[in-house]
Amino acid sequence: METLSNIVTYSLVHATLRMSTPVVLATLAAVISRQGGITNIGIEGIMLFGAYFGFVSAWVSGNWLWGVAASVVAGVVVSAAIGIVHLKHNTHIFVIGFAMNMLALGGTRFLLQQMFNVSGALLVDKPVTLPILRLSLAERNPVTASLFSGYSLFELLAPLLVLGVWYVLYRTAAGLRLRSVGLHEPAARSAGIDVYRVKMRAILLSGVFAGIAGAHLSMGYSSMFVENMTNGRGFMALAAANFGGGNPIYAFLGCLVFGLSDSIAIRLQSTGIPAQFVLMVPYLVTVAVLTSAMIGHSRRSDAARIARKLTEEIQGKEIRGKANEKGKGS
Amino acid sequence: MDPVVQMRNIHKQFPHVKAVDGGRIDIQAGEIHALIGENGAGKSTLMRLLYGMYPLDSGTISVGGNVFSAPGYSTKEAIRMGIGMVHQEFMLVNELTVLENVILGFEPTLRGGRLDFSRAEENIGRYIEDYGLDVPLGRTVKTISVGTAQRVEIIKTLYRGAELLILDEPTAVLTPQETEQLFSILRTMRDGGKTIVFISHKLGEIMEIGDRITVMRAGKYVTTLNKKDTNPAELASLMVGREVPGDKPRVRAASTETVFSVEHLYVASDRELSTLRDVSFSIRRGEVLGIAGVDGNGQSELIEALTGLRKIQGGTARLFGRNIVGEKPRAIRAAGLGHIPEDRNVRGLNKDFTAAENLFAARIDEPRFGGWGILRKGAILGYAKNLIETFDIRPAAPEVRVAALSGGNAQKIVVAREIDAEKGFLIACQPTRGVDVGAIQAIRDTLNQAKARGVSILLVSTDLDEILTMSDRIVTLYKGRITSELVNENVNIESLGLAMMGGAQS
Ligand SMILES: Nc1ncnc2c1ncn2[C@@H]1O[C@H](COP(=O)(O)OP(=O)(O)OP(=O)(O)O)[C@@H](O)[C@H]1O
Ligand SMILES: [Mg+2]
Repeated sequence: METLSNIVTYSLVHATLRMSTPVVLATLAAVISRQGGITNIGIEGIMLFGAYFGFVSAWVSGNWLWGVAASVVAGVVVSAAIGIVHLKHNTHIFVIGFAMNMLALGGTRFLLQQMFNVSGALLVDKPVTLPILRLSLAERNPVTASLFSGYSLFELLAPLLVLGVWYVLYRTAAGLRLRSVGLHEPAARSAGIDVYRVKMRAILLSGVFAGIAGAHLSMGYSSMFVENMTNGRGFMALAAANFGGGNPIYAFLGCLVFGLSDSIAIRLQSTGIPAQFVLMVPYLVTVAVLTSAMIGHSRRSDAARIARKLTEEIQGKEIRGKANEKGKGS
Repeated sequence: MDPVVQMRNIHKQFPHVKAVDGGRIDIQAGEIHALIGENGAGKSTLMRLLYGMYPLDSGTISVGGNVFSAPGYSTKEAIRMGIGMVHQEFMLVNELTVLENVILGFEPTLRGGRLDFSRAEENIGRYIEDYGLDVPLGRTVKTISVGTAQRVEIIKTLYRGAELLILDEPTAVLTPQETEQLFSILRTMRDGGKTIVFISHKLGEIMEIGDRITVMRAGKYVTTLNKKDTNPAELASLMVGREVPGDKPRVRAASTETVFSVEHLYVASDRELSTLRDVSFSIRRGEVLGIAGVDGNGQSELIEALTGLRKIQGGTARLFGRNIVGEKPRAIRAAGLGHIPEDRNVRGLNKDFTAAENLFAARIDEPRFGGWGILRKGAILGYAKNLIETFDIRPAAPEVRVAALSGGNAQKIVVAREIDAEKGFLIACQPTRGVDVGAIQAIRDTLNQAKARGVSILLVSTDLDEILTMSDRIVTLYKGRITSELVNENVNIESLGLAMMGGAQS
């Protein structure tokens, strides 16, 4: 009981946001490309490039803005390459996306070696990080301080970006066109829409968000660059986008579930439960929550409702039928 | 009157076929111009060229005085010139609402690119009123009926400013009532000054709605006639190049052996209207039982249930004495069921595969086509060639991808495969949807020959003519229940129509 109250505390809110934000940003990248009908598995690699160039540029220039800018540029360049190979040369997105992921993994390792002569991780004395927003009013009390203060820039911006992307997708002409391209390309084409351009833009924008996700990872979530520090977050983002059916708000909720279970898992480690098991928990919880959400959804569908009603009708008939038979028999 | 559209000397070569080979057409303002021809004659291709969907090989298109030749003509250009097209297969995004589908590509926006839904509704409301195009703007497309979807397509073209509307086989998917409704809309549009190109295989419809008629054969222009100066028989022979025989008299089955029966069948649907309740009927050996009904009254659910694709909630279904409730589709097929599905694009064909692969698919387990996971291409091609010849599928190229076939020829592939599978019981849904007069005859003859061999057929069709010519007995399906059952002798069409609308229920 005592352990439970150690685990579930007010500070879980902050921890959840902290753990989920890198995935949330990557999820926006996944949502945008998914709405254009592209499962952009290259997000993982774009993110890693973004993390590297962002961290290094910020450190070299001494300004985090240059870092974010470098991440975005890296994201756009890499995604442009993905877009051209995929769209113009008709290569399957998995092939080029996977290639980019390998390139990012090897490329950043190579750059670490060449530029800084280190391997594994780049730790520097005075890393330049993203601003942390403090609310002095809230800082007076540890509870409000944890709840309302001390967030890194993108931890606060991410939810706003989620809303922004939702707005663009569902309320603007550009969003409508993008969705139509993803859902039924011939229909979009017959409406005179330039499908290639729409898809290319979606991939580039996806690159912007994946780049930012990387910047946040190395300069906000942590303050160093580590090889393979994305650690599958790009793929988690694809899963979250899928879970949300392309809707960024639902996808965001999916990310929060993951962030929550991740933070709980970290706290569980101090209770003496084997680490291997504990590290599995977030994934198990995520799968369980997503599955039950989907089952719940299909239960509530019209089809399921009608089927249940029909079964009841049939059973009602059978009972009445039996009663009639009995009546005749006696 | 000057033609608004002139197409001259049009050529279009696809791999395997020259789809249009010296095509031409003159369309005059304010007329309903019918375009007819056999399956694969090049009607759709000619119109798609006009709509800028493919580049021309050679020839000229002039629209309202602007002349376009080979390159530099696109759909965007066509739309700008006031041309709109409703395709044979709808171009609607199922997941979006009707409103979103209509404005797609031509969205009215407020500042910042925000969609202006109220202005859109206002604009569209005009067409709804002027032409009686009744559509629910807020519903998602996947929840509306085919007839409604078609009205959405028409509104879409009007909204984009179309003065010339091309309708490619608009009635192939409509019920007779919906067709009547469409015709009255088309007439209103014509009287309001719009020009319409209308493609159909049903000569009755052509004679009813067309003002002038252009005939195509094998990619070539044949002639253009005034409706007043022609008749269906002449049109048919112009299309086919020979006389088309009419339906042969129906031969009744003599057997009393029951091949297939369902009793008290209950099947749930996604919609209340098409949920089946207490459906019972039986079919004898060599008999054709027609199921008549307005689309969406449970036909699809019935077929899916009987073919093992949808769960049966209650009741029994017996095929050759064996209860098939709960069986897998494969097992039901093995028990003797053949199936011509209602939508060839969804269930009937793999469009990315070749004609040969689609044709032999039902026999993939037979040793003559290979074994141990290895297919024998020679045997497959030989088998396919044979069927292609028997069923006159064009082009006669077994290795052509099905996606490249014309609608009617794609349908023939499904029919050929299922008839040749030689099952004792055949469920045939809209077997002649989208096929030309000659081919309708050929398909009906094939079905009748199968019947004479003792095959029992469950014919599901929204085409009353088809039901009446083919069936020995008819049941009507309305709101998921059987409302009447009759022997097809001197059937009164009015009362049949009434039963289809639920009239005979009480
Ligand atoms: N995209 C394509 N690629 C290759 N061949 C095609 C393509 N579209 C049509 N064809 C071929 O061109 C010929 C003409 O086809 P088209 O669709 O114009 O015929 P149609 O007159 O509309 O026939 P139907 O009445 O059956 O719809 C057919 O032989 C068809 O196989
Ligand atoms: Mg056609």
